[in-house]
Amino acid sequence: MHVDNLDSMRMYRAKRDALHVFVKTKYKILGFISSGTYGRVYKAEEDAGNLYAIKKFKPDKEGDVVTYTGISQSAIREIALNREISHENIVSLKEVILEDKSIYMVFEYAEHDFLQLIHHHSQTLRSPISTPVLKSLIYQLLNGLVYLHSAHILHRDLKPANILITSNGQVKIGDLGLARLSSQPLQPLFAGDKVVVTIWYRAPELLLGAKHYNNSIDCWAVACVLAELASVRPIFKGEEAKLDSKKNVPFQRDQLLKIFEVLGSPNEKDWPSIVHLPEYPSLKRLDPYPNRLFDWCHSRLRSQAGYDLLRLLFMYDPDRRLSAREALGHAWFREDPLPTANAFASVASNQIPPHRRITQDDAPSMSMTIPVQPANAPGPPFTQSQPVLSGSSQQAQAQAKSGHSHHTGTSGSLGEAGGPTVYVPQVHGHGRSTTKMRKKPRLG
Amino acid sequence: MATDFWASTHYKRWIVDRSTLKQARADDLLYVSEPEYVDFLSIYFANLITKLGKKLQFRQRVVATATVFFHRFYLKNSYCETDPYVVLSACCYVAAKAEESPVHIKNVVAESRALFSQEQYNVKHFPSDNHKLAEMEFYLVDDLDCDLIVFHPYRTLLALCKKDSSSSPASGSHSISPTDEAEAGELGTGIGIEDGPRYWGTGEGKLELSEGALQTAWFIINDTYRSELCLLYPPHLIAVTAIYLTLVLHTPTQNSIAHLLPYSSAFNSDSAISSESMQTTPQPRRSSRTSDPSSKQTQQDPISFLADLNVSLSTISTIAQEIISMYSLWSRYREDVSPEELRKTSMNLFGDGTSSGSPASHTSHAGQRSGSTPLGNTPGSIGGEGGDDTANSWPFGQGRLVTANFLSSLLNNMREARMNDMAHPPNGRPVVVNRMLERTG
Repeated sequence: MHVDNLDSMRMYRAKRDALHVFVKTKYKILGFISSGTYGRVYKAEEDAGNLYAIKKFKPDKEGDVVTYTGISQSAIREIALNREISHENIVSLKEVILEDKSIYMVFEYAEHDFLQLIHHHSQTLRSPISTPVLKSLIYQLLNGLVYLHSAHILHRDLKPANILITSNGQVKIGDLGLARLSSQPLQPLFAGDKVVVTIWYRAPELLLGAKHYNNSIDCWAVACVLAELASVRPIFKGEEAKLDSKKNVPFQRDQLLKIFEVLGSPNEKDWPSIVHLPEYPSLKRLDPYPNRLFDWCHSRLRSQAGYDLLRLLFMYDPDRRLSAREALGHAWFREDPLPTANAFASVASNQIPPHRRITQDDAPSMSMTIPVQPANAPGPPFTQSQPVLSGSSQQAQAQAKSGHSHHTGTSGSLGEAGGPTVYVPQVHGHGRSTTKMRKKPRLG
Repeated sequence: MATDFWASTHYKRWIVDRSTLKQARADDLLYVSEPEYVDFLSIYFANLITKLGKKLQFRQRVVATATVFFHRFYLKNSYCETDPYVVLSACCYVAAKAEESPVHIKNVVAESRALFSQEQYNVKHFPSDNHKLAEMEFYLVDDLDCDLIVFHPYRTLLALCKKDSSSSPASGSHSISPTDEAEAGELGTGIGIEDGPRYWGTGEGKLELSEGALQTAWFIINDTYRSELCLLYPPHLIAVTAIYLTLVLHTPTQNSIAHLLPYSSAFNSDSAISSESMQTTPQPRRSSRTSDPSSKQTQQDPISFLADLNVSLSTISTIAQEIISMYSLWSRYREDVSPEELRKTSMNLFGDGTSSGSPASHTSHAGQRSGSTPLGNTPGSIGGEGGDDTANSWPFGQGRLVTANFLSSLLNNMREARMNDMAHPPNGRPVVVNRMLERTG
C-alpha cells in the first residue's frame, strides 16, 4: 500500500487551495469594528462599493501555534441557520470564507444598532427616543422575529447590542450564535446550553430554572428591549449570580427582584405551572411586590395601547405571553404614529446616531491571513496601543459586539467572568478590549 | 426558512439529476474494472458511517445527516483523489454538531482509528492527530458550501403515519411476530412528531400502521442512505416510497390490506390506485366512522391515503425501483466475512435473504433479527410480476459477492493509480481538472 501515509489528503488539498479565493482579494478591509470572545468584526468593501461586516472567528491556538481544533458549536449554528434564512429584518449572510484556519462570515453591513441608539439618546442627545422611531424599531424587530419563529428558530440572545439598524432605518436582527432550531430537537434545548439569553433580557421561566422553554423567551426579550428603548436604560438591570465551581446555575435572586419591583410578584393564579419550576421554593422566600408597570409606562410610553402591548409581552406565564405574531397585530401599531419602513423617517439628520466608527490599527491581523508573502516577511509595525475605544459611542459598539457570550452559555464561555456590568462601556468595555489587543495574533 | 423544505438549501442546491451524479464518479470509473464497484463503494462507506455512528452513540438522524454530507462531498470530489475514511469521519464530526449533539473530536478520532483498522477495512494510515480531522472538517464545510441543515424522510414518515391505536401485537386478522415489534425504540423518543408542520400533502389525519410496519418503513429509510437517493429526490418522496414499500413488502400489513385491493396484484398500477380512490368515501382516513361493511374495527384504506397525497405516484414507483436495485446490490455485499469463507461460498447465489451479511445484518439498528429485514420475508413483488410461489427465494441478488476487504483494496489501488497518473500523465500533459459542480459562494 503506497498511498501517501503521511498526508492522505495532499492531492485534494492542493486542488482545493488552488481554487480558493482569498478574503483579501475579494474584499477591501476598511477597518476594525469590534471584538469579542468569538473573534473580531471588520468593515469591508467589495469592488462594487457594497459594504460588509466580516466576522472573523478567532483561530484556535495551542500555545503560539495556530492550528485546527474543530469549528465551535456556536459557529456551526450561526453558519447553518444563516444559510437557510432570508428576511429583510434579519442580517443576511453573503458568504462564508474558510481560509487559513479561520472562518470569515461576510454579512451585510449595518450602520447602527439599538445599543448605540440608546447610548446616543442617553449620553449625547439626553432626550428620549421619539415614539415614531421607537414604534418602527419594535415593529420591524417583531417582524423579523415572526419570521425566525415561523422557521422554528429560537434566537435566544435578543438584546439591544444584537439588533442592528441600517442607515436606511431598517432593523436587522443579528448574531444567531446562540440560536437553535426548536422543532424536533434530538437533545432537549437546555442540554446543550445551560444558560441562554443575557441576564437582563432573560425570561422569568429561565431564571426559575425551567428545562423546557419555547419562542416566548424571545418575546420576553423583546418586551425588555421595548422598555429599554422607551426609557433609554435597561428596565431590569439585575446583578448576575455567577456559576459555581461545578458550573451549577445559581438562583438569580437579584434579577428576579428587579423584575418583581416593576411587574409585581408572580402568583399561581396567573401562572399555574410556576409551582413545577425548580426554583419555585426559592421564589416563595422572596418578599411580595405589587405590580406597578402601569405607573412605569405612564411617564415613558404615554400610550394606553403601548402599555397594553408591554403588559402582554411581560406576561409571566409563557403560555399566555403574547407571541411575536400576535404582538405584530397589536393595536399600538395601528394607532398614530404608525410605524415606518425607515425607522428614522421622522428624525432630523443631525439627530441620527453617528456612523459606526472604525479603526485602522487592527487591520494587520487580517493581512496575516494572506499567504502572498512568506510567513516570516516583515509585516506592518505591530502596535500595542489601544486602538479602538476613543469615543464613547465607539465603546458602546465594541461592547455591542463583545458582550453577549460573556453573559450566556456559549460553550467555552461558561466559566468566564463578566456580568451585566460590562454594559457600562466606560468602565469595563475599555479594560476588556485592551486585554483582547494584547492577545492579538502574532505577525511573522 | 429552516423548516420549509421548499425554501431550504437542501431543496434549492442539493437535489441533483442523474447525469450530475454520473459525472461526479467519472474519474473514479477510470480506475475500476466494473462500474458497479463504485456503487458498492457507496454501500461500503455508508455502512462505515453507520458503524462509526453507533460507536459514537449517534441517533439515527445524526448518522443520516453524516451520510448525506458524505454523498454531497463526493458530488464534487472523487474517491480516488481523497481519503474517504478521513472524509467520512469528518462528516460524522460535523453532523453531530449540525444536529446539536456534539461529540469531542478526540472521540471521533479514536473510534475512527479503532474501526477502520479492523481487518476487513485495513486502513493503516488514519491520522491520530486531532488537527488532521479538524482540518478536514474545514475543507468539508467549505465543500458543503456551509449548507449544514439536512431534511430527512423520517420526519415525513412520522408526520404521515402513526402507530395504530389497537396496538396489541395481534391486531385484526393477522398476528405480528415479536421480532417484528421489538426494535421500534428509535421511533418513540426525542422526535417531536407534533412539532413539525405538515409542509406538503393534503388533508388531515394520519395513516395508522402497526408498530412493525412503521418500523419497517423506518428501516427502509435507513437503508436508502446506502444509495445516492438522498441526492436525487426530496426526502418526503422517499418517505412515501418507504410507506408504499412497507404496504407491499411487510407481510402482516400486506395481508391486512389485501382485501382492499380490487385486483389482487395490481398495486403498482396508477390507474388501479386512482380508481380505487374514487370508489372510496371522501374521507377514507376517517372510515371508522363511516359505514364500510367490509372493514372490521378501525379499518383505514392505506391505498387511498397514498393516492390522496399530493405526490407523483410515478415518481414514487421510480424511487421504489431504485430502492429495490440498491437492495439487489447490497445483497451481494459481504462485510464481516473472511476471504477463506468467501472462497467457499463465492459463486453461491442467494438462496434466501437472511444469510449473514445480507442487508439485514447491516441495517443501522442494533440487534435487528435478520428475519425482520424489510425484504427478507417477502417475495419482493414490487414490479407486480412476483407471485407468492417465489416467496422463499431472494429475487434480487444475481452475480458475484463483493466484500469489504475487496473494496478496501480496490480503493487503495484506485488512489495509488490516480496518484501515479497525476504525477506522470500518460499524454505528458497535466490531468485536466474536471469539476462537475460550480463552486458557489
